[in-house]
Amino acid sequence: MENLIVSLLNGVIYGLLLFMVSAGLTLIFGMMGVLNFAHASFYMLGAYFAYALQGSLGFWGALVASPILVGLVGVVVEKYFLRRVHHHGHAHELLLTFGLSFIIAELVKLFFGNFPVDYRIPASMDFALFRLGASNYPAYRILMGTVAVLMFVLVYLLLTRTRVGIVVRSAIYKPRMAEALGHNVPLVFMGVFGVGAALAGLAGAVAGAFYTTNPNMALELGVMVFVVVVVGGLGSMGGAMLASLLIGVITSLSVGVDYSLADALAWIGAGDWAQQVGGLLTLKLSSIAATIPFALMLLVLMVRPSGLMGDKN
Amino acid sequence: MKSNTWIALALGVGLLVALPTLTTPSLLNASIQMLIAALFACAFNVLCGQGGMLSFGHAAYFGVGTFATVHAMNAFNGEGLLPTPLMPLAGAVVGLLVGIFAGWFATKRTGTYFAMITLALAELLHALAPHLKGVFGGEAGISTMRMPAWGFSFGSSTEVYYLTLAWVLLSLGLLYLYTLTPVGRLTLGLRENTHRLRFLGYDVHRLNVTVFAISAMFAGVAGGLQALNTESANYVLLEGHVSAAVVLNSYIGGVSVFLGPALGASLMTFFGYAVSDLTRSWLLYQGILFVLVMMFMPSGLTGFFGWIRASRKAHGFTAIAPLLVAGLLAGVLLSAGTVFTVEMLQRFFSQDYRSMAALQPGAGWAPIALFGRDWLPTAVVTWAVPLGLCGVGGALVFAARRMWQALVDRAEEMQVPSNAASTAQGGAL
Repeated sequence: MENLIVSLLNGVIYGLLLFMVSAGLTLIFGMMGVLNFAHASFYMLGAYFAYALQGSLGFWGALVASPILVGLVGVVVEKYFLRRVHHHGHAHELLLTFGLSFIIAELVKLFFGNFPVDYRIPASMDFALFRLGASNYPAYRILMGTVAVLMFVLVYLLLTRTRVGIVVRSAIYKPRMAEALGHNVPLVFMGVFGVGAALAGLAGAVAGAFYTTNPNMALELGVMVFVVVVVGGLGSMGGAMLASLLIGVITSLSVGVDYSLADALAWIGAGDWAQQVGGLLTLKLSSIAATIPFALMLLVLMVRPSGLMGDKN
Repeated sequence: MKSNTWIALALGVGLLVALPTLTTPSLLNASIQMLIAALFACAFNVLCGQGGMLSFGHAAYFGVGTFATVHAMNAFNGEGLLPTPLMPLAGAVVGLLVGIFAGWFATKRTGTYFAMITLALAELLHALAPHLKGVFGGEAGISTMRMPAWGFSFGSSTEVYYLTLAWVLLSLGLLYLYTLTPVGRLTLGLRENTHRLRFLGYDVHRLNVTVFAISAMFAGVAGGLQALNTESANYVLLEGHVSAAVVLNSYIGGVSVFLGPALGASLMTFFGYAVSDLTRSWLLYQGILFVLVMMFMPSGLTGFFGWIRASRKAHGFTAIAPLLVAGLLAGVLLSAGTVFTVEMLQRFFSQDYRSMAALQPGAGWAPIALFGRDWLPTAVVTWAVPLGLCGVGGALVFAARRMWQALVDRAEEMQVPSNAASTAQGGAL
């Protein structure tokens, strides 16, 4: 029972982390129609900037400075790269961000080496917050979850309760009309791109210390984030939240399940046959936990192609 | 095709056939890799350039082709399912089947969604592969042997080269003929206007799956050739960087021309082979080149050659010659500056250098050897060299743009009076 609760909690927190990255991605997509391949690279940059800055600013200072820097990188990418190729169409923009993600990963390898760096949680946060049965629950995980929830609330309030939020939403909904009413839509685009990048950077700065910070983290998380946005429905914040939590919980729970398809088939008396066939049938669920999100995505695409909360198109 | 296209083609094929007598064995191995990469890129381009479906997971079909061929070679206790020269057929069949399956899912959606689904499918296979030891051989992979067949031993790389060349030429020929068939023309229709195809009564989903499967089939052939060449297969083949490389190569070459991706892939593979001993940052250069192509010459290298030909026709060779010289010089200077900076930084931030600096704290920064000279990282001249190179290169780019603008303006001026004259004439009538 305690294991289940711990797994659930871990899953929810991993899901919240996924949401921090996918929120920016889905916001940018909803507004500009650009799927930003480099978005997960912003996550990685956040972790590496925080690692590089923590010597001079301390952990908390780096946690604040790193997202700002990543946001600035995002602004540069939007203004000097994406805007220049906008007239070539969305596929071209996607390819450009793909190339940028490639360059960012290689630059990170150039400056920090092709191995994990020693970016850790500070000693002041390295304690157990509470005990669940036999296991201690690390406080830092709760901090990660809190940051993500705070961010969600802030973004939600910003979008729905402020004047800036109204302009942003109108720019998403009808960019030409908003422009005709005198709003500076390119500036709004740039701002949203920067904020989205900064959110991903914040997620990286927070999570990099807990998980490992290495040059592959962008690719690993990036693929998962794409799965999240497809499952949730591109452009939908609520969908992104739902899908992130779903995938976080499912991956976290399946790691603890020691059953295979053969065990399920044993219920209908085909267990021995399945053992003989081997291959996919005898793989333990725990060892293929990484593939479950992809299978879920294929399922969603078959049943509901527009995603859990996406519009029909 | 025009007669000079035929001549160029015959010359190219002749050169490829004569290649083993002209090069060293290690270059011949690189040529085999280039041929395989070229075929893979052309297969990818059927889907991407002609069908307008951007796939980020084409390594999956290349990889299953390799594994299928290795299994076919190992079948019957190493006797082989087919004679060795026909082995890539196993890759083709499995590539086709996997392509039909994956394509059915992926082509349910278009555009950005499609790209993400192909990526996720490839990652699914990549995550699953190490656990399926029987099929993919786990971490160690599986190895095999080329069996003698049809009077050839397939022991030397020359024989492997000719086998690869025959398969690549045959596949490229088939792919070209495919573009001339009605389905090939409909593939272009998929890229241009799907709605219209649907109105005309075509089953777009089935057409999409067909194009996807054909692309996957030829990617499987390329994978099969890879298996014949390396006599082994490892799940590393299914990794994202293989998929990334084919996207980068195809777009650098230019996806709008049939042989553009082949050009890009063979050039990039050749450079990768040539500089892999000299630099660790080859992938960075490849990425920078790709972004530059995406931003400034969206039609790739072949598009660039086409632009040169068109402007020579429009303005005359003497008019664009100084422009080309300035552009070439600027390109050389800018690349030299970039390479210098990157290599300098790479050495400065490398682990060896860092640990050496940590061992001798009071000694300051040691000089770095690069291009046959020692450079002090703290000296002004070390950083003035790349800055100067880039500065002069940038100035040349600026000058070349001014020259081009002047050419265009003059051409317009020459046209405007004649147009005005003709309208005046029209008005008089």
